[in-house]
Amino acid sequence: MIASILPSISPGTLLAGGVTATAASLWLLLPGGRSGAADRTARWLGWLIGIVALASFIATGHRLGNVGEEAVFLTVALVAVISGAATVVSRSPVYAAIWFAMALAGVSGVLLVLGGQFLGVATIVVYAGAILVMFLFVLMLAQPAGLAPYDRVSNEPLLAAVAGAVLLGILSLSIGRLTAEPPACCLMGGTKAALLADSPAAEPAAAAGIDMLADNHVARLGGELFGRHLLAVEVAGVLLLVALIGSIAIVSRGAADAESAAARRAMP
Amino acid sequence: MNDLSPSTLLVLVPLLPLVGAILTVALGRVLGPRAHLPAIAGTAAAFVVAVMLLTGMAREVGVGTTGHDHAAKPVEMVTTLWEWATVGDAAATGDAGSAARSFSIPVALRLDPLTATLLVIITGVGLLVAIYSIGYMHDDPGYPRFFALVSVFVFSMSMLVMASNFLLVYVFWEAVGACSYLLIGFWFTKPEAAKAAKKAFLVNRIGDFGLAVATFLLWMTYGTLNFHDTTLADGTLVPGILGATRLADASAYVGGVVGTAICLLFLLAACGKSAQLPLHVWLPDAMEGPTPASSLIHAATMVTAGIYLVARTAPLFEACPGALTLVSIVGATTALVAALIGTVQNDLKRVLAYSTISQLGYMFASLGTGTLLGFTAAIFHLVTHAFFKALLFMGAGSVMHSMGGVIDMRRFGGLRRIMPITATTFLIGSLALAGVAPFAGFFSKDEILASLHSRGWPDAHGEHHEAAPAGGHAATATPFHLAFHVASVTPDAAQLAGGTRGSALDALNAPATWRLLFWMSLVTAALTAFYTFRAVFMTFTGPTRVPEEAGHHAHESPPSMTIPLVILAALAAVSGWWLFSTHSLASFLASTPSFTAPSVASTATPPAFHWDLAIQGTLAAAIGIVVAALGHLGRRSDGPQMERFLGPLETLFANRFFFDQIYSALIVKPLELIATLAALVDRHVIDGLVDAIARVPAGLGAVVRHLQSGLVQRYALAGVIGTLLIVLALVARAMG
Amino acid sequence: MNPLADVVTPSPLVLDGLVVGAILFALGVVGILARRNLIVMFLCAELMLQGISVSLVSWSRHHGDWGGHVLVIFVLTVAACEAAVALVFVLQAFARTGRLDSAAWQSLRESNLSRTIDHELPAIDTVPLKFPKLSPAGVEPAADEDAALEREHV
Repeated sequence: MIASILPSISPGTLLAGGVTATAASLWLLLPGGRSGAADRTARWLGWLIGIVALASFIATGHRLGNVGEEAVFLTVALVAVISGAATVVSRSPVYAAIWFAMALAGVSGVLLVLGGQFLGVATIVVYAGAILVMFLFVLMLAQPAGLAPYDRVSNEPLLAAVAGAVLLGILSLSIGRLTAEPPACCLMGGTKAALLADSPAAEPAAAAGIDMLADNHVARLGGELFGRHLLAVEVAGVLLLVALIGSIAIVSRGAADAESAAARRAMP
Repeated sequence: MNDLSPSTLLVLVPLLPLVGAILTVALGRVLGPRAHLPAIAGTAAAFVVAVMLLTGMAREVGVGTTGHDHAAKPVEMVTTLWEWATVGDAAATGDAGSAARSFSIPVALRLDPLTATLLVIITGVGLLVAIYSIGYMHDDPGYPRFFALVSVFVFSMSMLVMASNFLLVYVFWEAVGACSYLLIGFWFTKPEAAKAAKKAFLVNRIGDFGLAVATFLLWMTYGTLNFHDTTLADGTLVPGILGATRLADASAYVGGVVGTAICLLFLLAACGKSAQLPLHVWLPDAMEGPTPASSLIHAATMVTAGIYLVARTAPLFEACPGALTLVSIVGATTALVAALIGTVQNDLKRVLAYSTISQLGYMFASLGTGTLLGFTAAIFHLVTHAFFKALLFMGAGSVMHSMGGVIDMRRFGGLRRIMPITATTFLIGSLALAGVAPFAGFFSKDEILASLHSRGWPDAHGEHHEAAPAGGHAATATPFHLAFHVASVTPDAAQLAGGTRGSALDALNAPATWRLLFWMSLVTAALTAFYTFRAVFMTFTGPTRVPEEAGHHAHESPPSMTIPLVILAALAAVSGWWLFSTHSLASFLASTPSFTAPSVASTATPPAFHWDLAIQGTLAAAIGIVVAALGHLGRRSDGPQMERFLGPLETLFANRFFFDQIYSALIVKPLELIATLAALVDRHVIDGLVDAIARVPAGLGAVVRHLQSGLVQRYALAGVIGTLLIVLALVARAMG
Repeated sequence: MNPLADVVTPSPLVLDGLVVGAILFALGVVGILARRNLIVMFLCAELMLQGISVSLVSWSRHHGDWGGHVLVIFVLTVAACEAAVALVFVLQAFARTGRLDSAAWQSLRESNLSRTIDHELPAIDTVPLKFPKLSPAGVEPAADEDAALEREHV
């Protein structure tokens, strides 16, 4: 399934190239010990190489059925990925939070394209609406004015970039091999059939096309959730309660230490 | 003797002192001031048994019986207690001419005239020394330990002379060396005593090495280490080295290089134990020990172990005439050198120590003549020397005891007025030592000089002795009745007839050598008399002076000390004349198996009393006494000394011919250097290597420690990288 | 008879979804490992979770059942709890050290190592703080066009 644009390059080389480009771009983008002009140059270069890496992913990716579907998916995917990258590399944590909101929007779009209507909306509501706001509140409380010193440096940027890129390479390799003949050892026979038999309303895989507005999507999801996974739902509820109580408990105990910590604010 | 068999008695002699020692060790604290009782009881009982054995043996030999014509038959009694060690197949037979190649050591005790004589000396003098020590060691905190050590020593020395196997001899040779070390270092908190003990032990070790190698060579040459003949289980006879089978055969002893090597190694061992040149350096320093110990082991018994060894192995030495001559040369030289050193010593005990070395040299000179006369004279002198030297040492101890530990003769004088008994007995002992008739030393020294003379001027003796048998047995003129009629045979011919092979040393065996040795001995006799009486006059004559350390001690010693002195003085006065005139000792000793070997026995001469030698000897002694009297009689002992007569020689003598300094430079310093180097190597190279190895984990840790930086993200990074590596490995494996 | 004959190759949409999920996850990993600001670290953790969610929904579409969706719901729940508790912790950490630096917590290092401190921090392109110039009370100051456009550096 290699794209016809690049027929002469072997998959292995392409993978290696993609990984290297990802690593390089991330290393350049991550805040490091560069200052001034060098920093700006690095960031431009990083974005450029990152675009190149992204292009290689797109080129070796899989073409969907029709152009419209392709365009939509590509848009939301790009939004998600680029915003995600921007989250990671933003110097200012507030900018990072805003970019994260953007990434959430992209992820929500991807989920909707994939047919997860409830989840697409739930992502926006819960994440962007609640969790992100909480992050912003904490930033408001704790972030010093201006860029703090620790925002300008990273911990082992090169090793982290390489690790991330290698991880991405492995995952891409594995995903790419999904289209190949599966080895005899890996899959148990009959799993697919069993899964299909169990699910109350099995959607045949790859049979239909894009299924964005299926009937009773949420109802069926709810039925599945409260049917098969009732216990897990209850446990999740308890978990939420525990988290709530725990947070309050920690805060109330921490309030007593607040005065003593005030003196330590002056520490560098 | 009636109800106890001889072998039981034989076992009792060492056993009783050993039991005494064990009891002293066990009950010493309990008994307190009576801690001497077990030791004295054991030694006394052993003495009684030894006397019983001696009388029984004498009866068996037929001492004192008439019949001068009968050959001296060898008399021995061997008792095997148990098999100590057996290696290899006892029944295996080896090649022809050597015994079975199995190695078997029986714990066998023997009794023969030589052993019986020495046993009486050992236990007798030991008993007297023990009684003396009651008074001498009276207030010493180590009182029980001393008596235990004395008992152990008596046990070891008895076993040494009774052992019928060379390995057993070696064991007890070492044992007496160990007892000597413990006794010299008795007051081990005193550094000089500890050093002296170490020195004695180490110098003895050199001799012991000689004895060990000699034992190995004996085993290789003769196939057995037993003195006596033994029979294997299958009836094969294993002839002992000094057993009847081998002694009867004139050619059974190996000469040449191997034989000479064995004999020279025996000589080395004897030099070590009996303090002859060049291993004499330990004996003067051994005077740091308590005086009774010096009296027992460094005068009477332990130092005579060397004499015993050479006498016992007489047949082996006879096969190597060169080695015999070397024995005499070493003995006579030692006698002279020690006498010279003794003339300038100011410490009374050191004078006696050098005197001991000198007298032992005499005994070796006599042994080395290789004649039966020489051997018996040496043993005779050993007996008389035991008496008067023990007496002299005890006298010195008595003086030291009274003078509060001071023994430097220049610090006291005229003690005969305070200590009459000590003075009288010391005088008797000195007369005996100087060789003044009719005291003991005169006769024994005369015999020694006679044996040397007979080798130096063989013709004179040959004529002399041919006349004697023809004239019948003039009992007055020929007190020694020895059996052989081959009187005209010279010692040289006798040894050649024994079928020995020559060695390079035989060139020494010329009459000229023996004449030189004779004159050396004569000079030594004069010097002996001189230094002995110098010591007597300095100590006991002149104005009475007492050093301040004496305090209230300056009086005669208690009876426990003076009684042994008196007994020994009586023996020193009488024994020589008695043993000589009743011809008992020589004829008794002639029945010792070693001396019945043809090579030894054929040199027997019906002796005469050599008037010419007696006159020469007495003259030498008189010269010595007179010179000493001129210098010291009646004068203050701290007056002008020998220096003005001797000049630079005095420095040489006072520094003991620089033997200690030479040894220190040649042997001790290089060894110390090696030891220092070894210590450096150990500390820096070996320890350094070990430390370097130890630093490796620390170094690795220091490097790896930086991973534990406390920064959590770095830990996470490490985890991620690790996981990726594992996954990569799995993927690579899955992809082939 | 191939026992795996019923395994279907995932559709291109699913595969693309998986790729997007993988990319988001990898970006999140890099962010967590590299960034020093505690808040940004948690944002990157959330980014990882987003990637997981996308992957799960892709698989769910591939298999045609609700398993992935349900898991994502629970992931959402747990993420919410985690965010709450974690942010409380971050605030506590801030209260103790006065800064949101993950490198402020190094006490668990080896006893004879020294603190890892930043050297040569890059200079900030700082814009000097512009404080509003207040005119004496009672008079409305003239509107400054430039000042209105600028905002304080965040």
